[in-house]
Amino acid sequence: MRLPRFDYLGPDNLEGALDLLDTHRDDAKILAGGTDLLVRMKKGLLKPKFLISLKALNELSYIKKEDNNIKIGAGTSIADIIASNLVKKEAHALLQACEKIGAITIQHHRGTIGGNILQDNRCHHYNQSDFHRSGRQPCHKDGGKICYARDEADRCNSTCQSDGATALMALGAKITLARKGGERTVDLVDFYTADGIMPFAMESHELLKEIIIPMQGAQSAYKRLAYRSAIDYPIVCAGVLLKSSKKNEIREVRIVVGAMGRSPLFLVRASSSLKGKKLTDMDAFKKAADIAMDNASTFAVHNVGSTLEYRCAMVSQMVLRALKQAAEAAKR
Amino acid sequence: MEKIQITLNINDKPCEVMVYPNDTLLEVLRDELDLTGSKESCGEGVCGSCTVHMDGKPVRSCLTLAMEAQGTKIKTVEGLANGDDLSDLQQSFIDHGAVQCGFCTPGMLMSADALLNENPRPDEKTIRKALAGNICRCTGYAKIVEAVAHAGNPQEHCPDCVDK
Repeated sequence: MRLPRFDYLGPDNLEGALDLLDTHRDDAKILAGGTDLLVRMKKGLLKPKFLISLKALNELSYIKKEDNNIKIGAGTSIADIIASNLVKKEAHALLQACEKIGAITIQHHRGTIGGNILQDNRCHHYNQSDFHRSGRQPCHKDGGKICYARDEADRCNSTCQSDGATALMALGAKITLARKGGERTVDLVDFYTADGIMPFAMESHELLKEIIIPMQGAQSAYKRLAYRSAIDYPIVCAGVLLKSSKKNEIREVRIVVGAMGRSPLFLVRASSSLKGKKLTDMDAFKKAADIAMDNASTFAVHNVGSTLEYRCAMVSQMVLRALKQAAEAAKR
Repeated sequence: MEKIQITLNINDKPCEVMVYPNDTLLEVLRDELDLTGSKESCGEGVCGSCTVHMDGKPVRSCLTLAMEAQGTKIKTVEGLANGDDLSDLQQSFIDHGAVQCGFCTPGMLMSADALLNENPRPDEKTIRKALAGNICRCTGYAKIVEAVAHAGNPQEHCPDCVDK
């Protein structure tokens, strides 16, 4: 498969990259690892005039502790995150999620955490070859007015299948978006538009620069279900964060379910149902997992991998397993 | 769009090539430099048959732009053997019958070689994890895993080993 034509731009530093992005805006795409972008370009889903490579921008690759936060550069490779003791200790869900991204051959060197968060939403009606798509009317995401995943849907129902974003949302992460002459920090929860065509609330001249994870002294866990353990997108995943008191009482929970909607879903009702419960209260965990399943199921459509019924049923399992693991870690 | 001259360091030899910005490393290796050991199968980073080393780490050459490979040390499957002398890993693949149609073999060898460079005596689980990104549709994976385990540990022959 050939890539479509484009011009390659290789800025030396962040300032240069932001300058180029500001000039070319919608005509340009950022190339970090390329493991998502180049695949979409090969399928003809994307035809940018310019690719701005971040290859020379070592300044975007770091993991550091600052003011009770873990700060991770958006260009940090997945392998570096897996190797980080800081992430392992303070943001275990992110480590578990990164271990599941791609296969070792891609993780090692090419894939970046920024690219993982910004990987485009997917749908098995859309992520197909030019030839496949040419045989029918274009869908919403392809510029048309039809949704093949849900009859008579007035909008795109593509699914966010990012492992990293689900774990980071559970960890309460914020992200910093840089643009020429400034930057802004947003909560990851507020970063999504609920629109499958352009799922991220960012401008075309903005660049994801940094991920900030607050260190809350809490336990976290991430569980995912996929057909193939390597190089496969999750069909359901769940990240949880669990804060407990010394008396093994739960003070705060964040339950996030991924691969079920247009963005990772932070489920407030399921999360708050566990407040004040004991870490050993399995019935409460099961109840929270069932609430999570009910709430997440309303967002899902049949457009990735398995049948909708199976994916919905598995939400409660993934949430329950993640909760159990986080609770085990909290008891220690 | 014009061709650009770049220098790639492939198997410890500098190669000057003219490439288009949208040429992948795999296309340059196969079509410009006649290094046809690396194969294209899925073309989207799922099968692993195009795996090469960049600075000692296995990467997918079908999802790496040739332009991005400048300034790195690239090793392809052709760089494993020393002239006509096969590497231990390659010989082990032959001895264990780990090759059937052979299409996935270059990728398997490169993934396994990277693993053995890091960990010369890997256990089965580690080998399977390292090869998880490579798909074989003929032999099944048992013989491939045996071949890698043996190459990393030539003293302890397994029952399937050919006595030499």
